[in-house]
Amino acid sequence: MFSLELAGASKRYGRRHALASVDLAVPQGTSVGLLGANGAGKTTALRLLLGFARPTRGAARLRGLDPFDAASRRGVGYLPERLRLPHGMTLQRFLHVHAALAGLDGADLVREIDAVTETTGVRDRLHEPVDGLSKGLAQRAGFAQALIGRPEVLLLDEPTSGLDPLGVRDARGWIESARARGATVLVSSHVLSEVERTCESVVILREGRIAASGALEALLQPGETLEDLFVRAVAGREAPGPLDQKTGREVPGPLDQEAGREAPGPQDGPGE
Amino acid sequence: MNAMRAFRIFAAEAFRDGLRRRLAFAVALVLVTGLAGAQSCTQLGLGSMEVNGETLDGSVIGGFLAPILFGFQAWAVLAIAGLLAADHLARPLAEGSAVLWLARPVSRGIWATARLAGALGVALLCGALLLGGTGAMLVLRQGVAIEPVFAAAAATALGSLVVASLAMTASLALGRTAVILLVLLGLVFVAFANGVGLATELAHPAIGVGGLVGAVDRYGPPLFSAIAGAVAQWNPHVDPGDTYAQSMQRLAVWAAGGCLLLVAAFRRREIEG
Repeated sequence: MFSLELAGASKRYGRRHALASVDLAVPQGTSVGLLGANGAGKTTALRLLLGFARPTRGAARLRGLDPFDAASRRGVGYLPERLRLPHGMTLQRFLHVHAALAGLDGADLVREIDAVTETTGVRDRLHEPVDGLSKGLAQRAGFAQALIGRPEVLLLDEPTSGLDPLGVRDARGWIESARARGATVLVSSHVLSEVERTCESVVILREGRIAASGALEALLQPGETLEDLFVRAVAGREAPGPLDQKTGREVPGPLDQEAGREAPGPQDGPGE
Repeated sequence: MNAMRAFRIFAAEAFRDGLRRRLAFAVALVLVTGLAGAQSCTQLGLGSMEVNGETLDGSVIGGFLAPILFGFQAWAVLAIAGLLAADHLARPLAEGSAVLWLARPVSRGIWATARLAGALGVALLCGALLLGGTGAMLVLRQGVAIEPVFAAAAATALGSLVVASLAMTASLALGRTAVILLVLLGLVFVAFANGVGLATELAHPAIGVGGLVGAVDRYGPPLFSAIAGAVAQWNPHVDPGDTYAQSMQRLAVWAAGGCLLLVAAFRRREIEG
């Protein structure tokens, strides 16, 4: 059984295709990076998987179930990109409610809150209102709620957003711990270095379609970084090369030459 | 997770959330003003009143005063229920805090009805204080019977559920200001239609009210017919017949319909992630 599945999933908003016939199957216990330029469809894919939206065509499945079935979200931890914590709740109450919804109660619930707040470094903030936490602490609180109940599926949308370098390193550790205990992890991120370190495979979306997918080691060409692969998949050309000293233009790589294309000049910019 | 447990957790949070909102101050103001008004109005029966040289009995004054006063207070409770519900579901959706709850293994129906219960809880708490206080003053000072207080309070509670569920459903499609206007204008119009319907029924039972007013009175939620049917017992000159029982039955149908509509509309709603 796959933990996460999109089968020919398309999602259209008016005339715009946010996703077009995307097939994705993530087996239990694997970690996948979901990459793509802004507006490529990453968040839409997560929304379909969580049952926040219905595919226009095709199907989404979470833990083998229709995501609109509440049971599919049992054992799922989610950290949204646009994390908005509720007004007026203390962190303790916030985590208490999430732990209860994750099926914990009594001493187990208290132990779990202690454990996740200790892990994510927000234990001394338990009595503060969550909506008053700084961006970095709020992100840590968001991680704490996502990790509560030791979820078997972890969906993280831009998980290191707002975290300082120490926080980024901590977040990497939390993701690796989840992987180590057999959780399925899907990380949607623009921070390629983090994805490269925490995920064994990637799916790169381009304008709502899969431009590249598979195990990192199989996708990366010798000497290539994930950034190179990303540019190749998303822009359809090679990563920016060195500038020609005479013309001030980028030296075209073999892929660009194959496509009969000139590399962009310095004034063109990489764009979104 | 047990659906009832999830409902209890969410409803308790929604109730707390309702008490924390700025609107709660407005609710408290309505409460204080309403009770002050009741305190002032119920002094009327303590003295003697003469009309055309004829001294009116205190119970006659109470018979007219009590239904009007109670009707106004009930209207305020219905309005509070609608205003609280106008964004109690839409706000966490718009802010984005809802996704954290909806990513948990709970159905959308549970979450939506728990938010409804939270908003309704605040409105009913206010209603209990306002109607309870007014009822107590009327019973103690005007000497009216106590039973209609409970009957009218039950009608107000059921009416609040109707208003809140419809307002919450509307808030999934309309902005907050539009929903607030809809609630206030809707309550005024239903009160007018029910008033015209009752007056016609009492004066000319054979004549029915036509047009939109008649249709709203006959098929719409009988928010004020039910309340009026209960408190009309205070007036010895009025025979409300089975208005109360019939209105409560129709209100119950509207309440069930409102809740089902809310759940159905929310299930279709796409959530921003």
